[in-house]
Amino acid sequence: MRNMSATFLRRSRTGYSSHSPNWASRAFSIRSLFGFAAPSESRLEVPESSRFRGSDGSGFVAGPRSRVGASWVRRLEETLGRSGCPARFGGFRPFATRAAVEPATSDGLTVEGIISNQWTILDESEGDWKSHAAAIAQSISLIKRRLQWKNLLVRLELLSRQLDKPYLWDDPQHAGKISREHGTLMVKMKEVMEFEQELLEHIDMIKLAREENDADLESESLKALLRMRRFSKEKELEALLAGEHDSCSCFIEVQAGAGGTESMDWAAMVMNMYKTWAQRRGYGVTVVDEMSGEIAGIKRATIKVDGEYAFGYAKAEVGVHRLVRISPFDSNKRRHTSFAAVAVIPILGGGFSHVQINESDLRIERFRAGGAGGQHVNTTESAVRIVHIPTGVTATCQNERSQHQNKASAMAVLQSRLDRLEMARQAQMNAQHTQSLTEISWGNQIRSYVLHPYRMVKDLRTNYEVSDPDSVLEGDLDGFIWSYLSDLMDKDEASP
Amino acid sequence: MKPTVRPSFVRAWPCIASDFSTFFLRLPPPPLAHARNIAQIRHRRIHSSLSPPPPPPLLASSPPSVPPPLFLRPPKYTTTVADLLEWHSWAKSLAASVGSSFEDSDNGPDSRLLCRELNWLMEDVLDGFDPSLMHKAVARDDPDVIVSSRADVQELYRLWKQRIEERRPFQYIVGCEHWRDLILCVREGVLIPRPETEIIVDLVGDVISKDQGLREGLWADLGTGSGAIAIGIAKILGDYGSVIATDLSPVAIQVASFNVERYSLQEKIEVREGSWLDPLKGVEGKVAGLVSNPPYIPSDDIGGLQAEVGRHEPRLALDGGAEGMDDLLHLCNGAASMLKPGSFFAFETNGEKQCKFLVDYMQNQLPGSFCNVNTASDFAGTQRFVTGFRNG
Repeated sequence: MRNMSATFLRRSRTGYSSHSPNWASRAFSIRSLFGFAAPSESRLEVPESSRFRGSDGSGFVAGPRSRVGASWVRRLEETLGRSGCPARFGGFRPFATRAAVEPATSDGLTVEGIISNQWTILDESEGDWKSHAAAIAQSISLIKRRLQWKNLLVRLELLSRQLDKPYLWDDPQHAGKISREHGTLMVKMKEVMEFEQELLEHIDMIKLAREENDADLESESLKALLRMRRFSKEKELEALLAGEHDSCSCFIEVQAGAGGTESMDWAAMVMNMYKTWAQRRGYGVTVVDEMSGEIAGIKRATIKVDGEYAFGYAKAEVGVHRLVRISPFDSNKRRHTSFAAVAVIPILGGGFSHVQINESDLRIERFRAGGAGGQHVNTTESAVRIVHIPTGVTATCQNERSQHQNKASAMAVLQSRLDRLEMARQAQMNAQHTQSLTEISWGNQIRSYVLHPYRMVKDLRTNYEVSDPDSVLEGDLDGFIWSYLSDLMDKDEASP
Repeated sequence: MKPTVRPSFVRAWPCIASDFSTFFLRLPPPPLAHARNIAQIRHRRIHSSLSPPPPPPLLASSPPSVPPPLFLRPPKYTTTVADLLEWHSWAKSLAASVGSSFEDSDNGPDSRLLCRELNWLMEDVLDGFDPSLMHKAVARDDPDVIVSSRADVQELYRLWKQRIEERRPFQYIVGCEHWRDLILCVREGVLIPRPETEIIVDLVGDVISKDQGLREGLWADLGTGSGAIAIGIAKILGDYGSVIATDLSPVAIQVASFNVERYSLQEKIEVREGSWLDPLKGVEGKVAGLVSNPPYIPSDDIGGLQAEVGRHEPRLALDGGAEGMDDLLHLCNGAASMLKPGSFFAFETNGEKQCKFLVDYMQNQLPGSFCNVNTASDFAGTQRFVTGFRNG
């Protein structure tokens, strides 16, 4: 996926770089240019063919009026004062107004337009450009929904205004945060907009090619559309993981519900499911803390999952998981229902400022404190529990071979928990994050695993179901995760 | 990080088998050649104490009868996963059969702890491969896969039998103890460093973070055993200061020297043989810090100790005389003459009673010698350490 993304950026950049400062005047000559150019060269000129529809609905714009219809990318940069001549378009205009400007083909076709045309989407193998275009347009629309496009626009506007403030850098830490977020957002939005523009350009090309009877050019553009169509599927999935912390590694915690050994065994099964899932995805898995049940299973356990987007995927698993089966621990062979709760905590990376922990706020304890200790005892047990006194948050680690390392691991867990608390606190203050707050708190029952009297795993949020519980318990979770993430994102945007 | 484990054991195995440096990821292989003769290298610039330990040197100084720690042996044996698993399940059931009987009789390990030790033993024997994955691997693929290991299966049977039947300490079985961020080699005749004692190094760390003079000074660890405290201190001193580690036991001297060399700290730590303060002749009044974990168990309690301790660890390192205070008092009485004004000391004790006694003794029997005499607790909440400063 990363490779794809890199390719995408590279291709887009080629397109972008050909925007010369006097693009508007060159736009006039585009047809004549195409008339002479060999197909391969003309492809480089593609971006020039874009036209924009003004917010006033004036439609096809070119020449002197092009001030309204500057390219989206340029427009963003202008708003953000990056072009070096911010006054060029008549000084500052509210971003929202500009955002209403949609890229369009030379005959005014927009992405929305393509969708509303309801062109039949055929199989990829059918070489119909309309079908490709419609599929891509749908993807773009979906990607925008998933990224919460409107919110992004508002956020970007807000950030650019803050960046414009003259005294911003008096507080370098704050300024750094703002400009980092701004940068990330810019990159994210630019990528989509360039993708959108590329689509429209290829449509222009095909139309032109038909006018000019240039079969080579047409087939080339058709191929390009097909490439975009395949690529857009990747981007759709990627857009599901666009949350602020989605790319982080994470901790996964599993806790057995009430019900003794049977539910402790269930908790162990759930934990195992995540271990295998993570390993299959190529993530590093470390057991940080494990409290075994008396007879079988675990009371609770925490694993660390290391790798890109671990949190983004795993967050879909937060909530209570229910198992129905004939309990192997019941001599009467009765059917039991057990629960296990799952929490997922992101391990925030460098850009995030961690909660400051004062050494004096900590109480560090060893387990099994009984006995004389010291030279009296030879034990390989060196578990450590750290209590953060002001918040009451605790973390334990007993997996390492030295107390020192257990303490270091427990500190890492504690740091993440406190960071999560802080995130939740900030989210509460920030209405647009209400959604993520519910994501990271312990949710309700999310999935049912039935082994008896029938066999099925069903996600209660999405109704996604699988009739082979074994494969799921062996870590085949991606179907559930994708369906939940797309459901979540797509529903999210639909509601006002 | 552990090697990425792919679902197929057969495919995964070659990469794991060839990656036998995994274990050393915690202690990356260092480039520095180590010199044996301290005198020869005195003139060399002191390199950072954070430099990782050198590749395992030959145990030239230890008697041939003592095999090197498991994790330092070359992985020259091969065995099939099936054989290894057979041993493992035998060992596991032996551990399970213990239940809580050791715990009930002398506060020894229960089967849960023993199973964890078994995993660690696998870890040391198997080039850092995660043993829990073997079962799954076998379930899916071929149990005849060849595994390279650092001990042959027969030895593993023998070792685990010793662990359970003779209660031989796990650390002697594998030949090492993970202590702080160090892996210290230990063997019979040397006290296995305790987790509590890690805190002495933390206490020193607090002191030197506030006083550069102490950081640059000479430190002494008396009765160093495996060299744990001395190495821990040398590492936090960084580019400054130096440490003298003393012990009466020739075996301890050998083991401590070995560990010091393994962490390339020969230029910072001088290991001296002799009783308590005797080897410090020549540095009277010059020591910036003095620490010790002397024997402090009352003689009468030795008989009732947990079998791993009482039957296997050196009495010399445990028995502190009738009240357990003989050596602590000896150190208190002698410390003042070694320490320079403003210097720091920390002693580990048997608990609250000894701590209180020592604090009282220093204030009333040695008036004017020390100031800020305090106690500090271990993580179990037991008052374990007495700390203070030399007056002046």
